[in-house]
Amino acid sequence: MFRAKAGAAFGVLLMAAALGVAACSGSDSGDSKTLTLWHYEGPNSAMGIAWNQAINDFKASHPGVTVKFEEKSFEQIQQTASQILGSDQAPDVMEYNKGNATAGLLSKQGLLTDLSTQAQQRGWAGKLSPSLQTTARYDADGIMGSGKWYGVPNYGELGDLVYYNKAMFDKYHVRVPTTLAEFETAMDTFVKAGVTPLSVGGGEYPAQQIFYDLALSKATRSFVDDFQLYKHKVDFHGPEFSYAADTFARWVKAGYIPKNSAGIKAEDMGVAWEQGKFPMVISGTWWYGRFVSEVKNFEWGSFLFPGNSLHPGSSGNLWVVPAKAKNKSLAYDFIDATMKPDVQNLMANSGGLPVAAEPASVTDEKNRDLIALFDGVVSHDGLAFYPDWPAPGYYDTMVAGVQDLINAAKTPGQVLDELAKPYNDNLADIGK
Amino acid sequence: MATAEATRATGRHPAAPGAKATGRRRQGRGPARHVVLAGLVVLVLLTVAPLLVVALNAVKSPADYAAHGPLGMPHSVYLRGIADFWNRVDFGRKLLNSFLVSAAVAVGGVILSVLNAYALGIGRVRGRTWFLVFFLVANLLPQEVLVYPLYYVSKSLHLYDTLTIVIIIFIVIQGSFGTYLLTSVYASFPGELLDAAEVDGAGRFRVLWRIVVPVSRPTLSVLLTFFFVWTWNEFFLPLVFLISSDQQTVPVALGVLQGERMMDATTTSASALLGIVPAVLFFLIFQRTLTRGVMAGSVK
Repeated sequence: MFRAKAGAAFGVLLMAAALGVAACSGSDSGDSKTLTLWHYEGPNSAMGIAWNQAINDFKASHPGVTVKFEEKSFEQIQQTASQILGSDQAPDVMEYNKGNATAGLLSKQGLLTDLSTQAQQRGWAGKLSPSLQTTARYDADGIMGSGKWYGVPNYGELGDLVYYNKAMFDKYHVRVPTTLAEFETAMDTFVKAGVTPLSVGGGEYPAQQIFYDLALSKATRSFVDDFQLYKHKVDFHGPEFSYAADTFARWVKAGYIPKNSAGIKAEDMGVAWEQGKFPMVISGTWWYGRFVSEVKNFEWGSFLFPGNSLHPGSSGNLWVVPAKAKNKSLAYDFIDATMKPDVQNLMANSGGLPVAAEPASVTDEKNRDLIALFDGVVSHDGLAFYPDWPAPGYYDTMVAGVQDLINAAKTPGQVLDELAKPYNDNLADIGK
Repeated sequence: MATAEATRATGRHPAAPGAKATGRRRQGRGPARHVVLAGLVVLVLLTVAPLLVVALNAVKSPADYAAHGPLGMPHSVYLRGIADFWNRVDFGRKLLNSFLVSAAVAVGGVILSVLNAYALGIGRVRGRTWFLVFFLVANLLPQEVLVYPLYYVSKSLHLYDTLTIVIIIFIVIQGSFGTYLLTSVYASFPGELLDAAEVDGAGRFRVLWRIVVPVSRPTLSVLLTFFFVWTWNEFFLPLVFLISSDQQTVPVALGVLQGERMMDATTTSASALLGIVPAVLFFLIFQRTLTRGVMAGSVK
């Protein structure tokens, strides 16, 4: 009996060893003839279209080099990046999420290549304004904002565009607001007419971005630096967050934010607005291309969250070069290709927000307006990143806190205490 | 209430003619049957409803979805979502990979379980309870716990990012469950059969191959089917170990559509439909084996 079992085990081992040898012989390719490239943007997204062009440009300028492109799933990269990059299967260049918990962590683990020299020599640093560079550079502790370059952002995003239904604005004689007070008056008009003004997704990221917007309406750059880059202690009961929590609660009470929105997902929020059930939705520029292609039943426009000079938003995800990449110089050439004007302009014309487009060569009017908005924010150093960035797991804290405001389950003061604790715990953990 | 009283009353009259009596008896079971039937219909609808919604959205164009939401009827049948998805992830290749992995695991897992269970259940190895407890615990461990050790082992064996490592891992995982289950089946294996074989001069291997395996074939085919389906649906470990696109299995490929913030509802439905179909087909093919296996177990 034991012999049979041992035999089987031995057989499995033998099989494993044999296949291992076979697998080993096929995986080496440090020959400067192949560029392995991964990203997780859909083929029809602005990034997917533009990067496809970059691949073609790269092939044209590198005859004899094969580009091995694979579209990965966001989740797979999220879950397994450190394992992939620690193995021989690491690609030469890949898209990766910006932020302390992602790119910062990998840089700290020594899994990413320092791109500082390339960024200077190839002029990437000059194309990226300071608030876009924040997410590209990480210090020795993996905290963004200073230190070496570990990634290169290729596009940007804003988290608080107000998309509005022009037909509904006309019907109730509402004009596009330019200040927060006008915005509240406009929402009052809708409420009086029995229409809920905002489609809100409280189950996911959208509601916390509105909350953050309200805080930013009272904030200066140094507040953002304190909150996101840990420059100084943040007072959660200070004027910024107190105003945000009180106002958010007031908006729920006044009927601007639907009382049942605590459980609504971002997808359902967007679709409800697309169906014309709400006049406005406040969310990111990542919806833009989708609304352009899917909304056929009404005219729509967009404006920035009124009155703010600081906006949730940041650079997009980064190009990173794994430390174990086999063809690093090809990887640098590819990143360079994505920063070239033709690729950047194509991204702009496909509804994306490139970091270095030439507005003059953007043909679509809607896209040109969007890029002008973005460039305006960037040139005033107005990117304030996202509220869930400062601490690991803070996304869930934020979702829960804002849900408590929507359901009026806790007072604004209690919610702020809830938000403060994990934030301060994290500060203690990283020794700030 | 009144009708129930009435039927009970008529039931007490055995003098009624036979034909009528049976007719009444059938009627008597009527209400209960209808309640059960209605309950079953509700259950079936509850189970099928998500699948129907998936099928509905799989054949909708994105604009249609945006205008009328997930529950609206499609205005025209739009199959490009399915075709696009198939080509985008090279779905044929993923099907082949999934099939290879599941089939290898099903066969390997059953062989491993039979050998183990023969030793533990019939061979009565010393300390077999402890072996069983060990197998049970191994089976209860969450896969997340196993990831890092397996990752390092696979890297040092140069098997990271190959189907082989996934097959080996799942043969062991499924095999541990199979061992646990089969051991209890074999523990009650009729001793007369074994004694008779031994008297006839059969060796241990011959007993296993000629007696034990044929007798327990129905149970083994159920195990085979379960191992196949379970492995087919595995997501987490394949996600971690199968990195290259041409090595990936169906559930991993379906993940491509879930973006960071955006989800493409119609294409996701299309992919979900493509993901469900093989499992349904497999069930239809092996459904008879399953019922037979379960029956065989219950009679014994």
